[in-house]
Amino acid sequence: MKVQVRNLDNISILDCSGDVDLYSSPRLREALLAEIKADGPSVLVNMSGVPYIDSSGIATLVEGLQLSRQTKTRLGLFGLRPNARSVLELARLHKVFTIFAAEAEALEKIGSTKPFSGL
Amino acid sequence: MIRVVMGSEPRLLNILRAVVIFRAQEAGLSYPEAEYLALAIDEAAANVIRHTYGGCHDALLALEVRNLPDRLEFLLEDWGPKVCEDLIHPRPLDDLRPGGLGTFFINSFMDECSYEQDCQEGNRLKLVKFLSRKGDWCNEGSSTQSG
Repeated sequence: MKVQVRNLDNISILDCSGDVDLYSSPRLREALLAEIKADGPSVLVNMSGVPYIDSSGIATLVEGLQLSRQTKTRLGLFGLRPNARSVLELARLHKVFTIFAAEAEALEKIGSTKPFSGL
Repeated sequence: MIRVVMGSEPRLLNILRAVVIFRAQEAGLSYPEAEYLALAIDEAAANVIRHTYGGCHDALLALEVRNLPDRLEFLLEDWGPKVCEDLIHPRPLDDLRPGGLGTFFINSFMDECSYEQDCQEGNRLKLVKFLSRKGDWCNEGSSTQSG
């Protein structure tokens, strides 16, 4: 699994690719928490390259969400594949996270002044 | 029947998932359905690595998959200390915190989940998916035990 970070207009975007499981989730955790702590206003996680996520990956996202609430950082996910979305829905987390269909929508809404529902 | 024996290394979990998906699709399940079963087995094996073996990567675990006419049976075996089933509980979903979802996913995607009592050494977790119930993937609230 790889995590690449890019910055667009002060928005950090984490492009994830590969399975997120017990082996790889520490890499996502390190990158995600670092971006949230970096004091930027918004962090987006691009999940379009993630075909599989297990409970350790979900735990990483939840940890990121909790930290983002402390730091007042806007955190959003986009590009979730159907199975990953199903797993989040089963765990009733789809309403806890701010989820966008695609990057364009995420960038458009994260740039607005309206706060995310997840905050 | 397929039996895979491997080291307790997290990087090898994708092998277990591939085996489960292969056998589940052979049994007639769709790829998404097979992936749900792979997630359940992955979570059970991850629990063995993290909790039974305490993160030790030098131990062994084994997965046996049996395709039976009416069901898929998965036997996950380890050689660690005996698991106390009374201590295994999925966390309430309303309790938003990292972790604790693995057992919930196992119970959600499997129809039966129990430790075999005749296992002399280590633990043998038996997970069953009845093929007649395929398509019914959410056993939310199941009271079955899991590892």
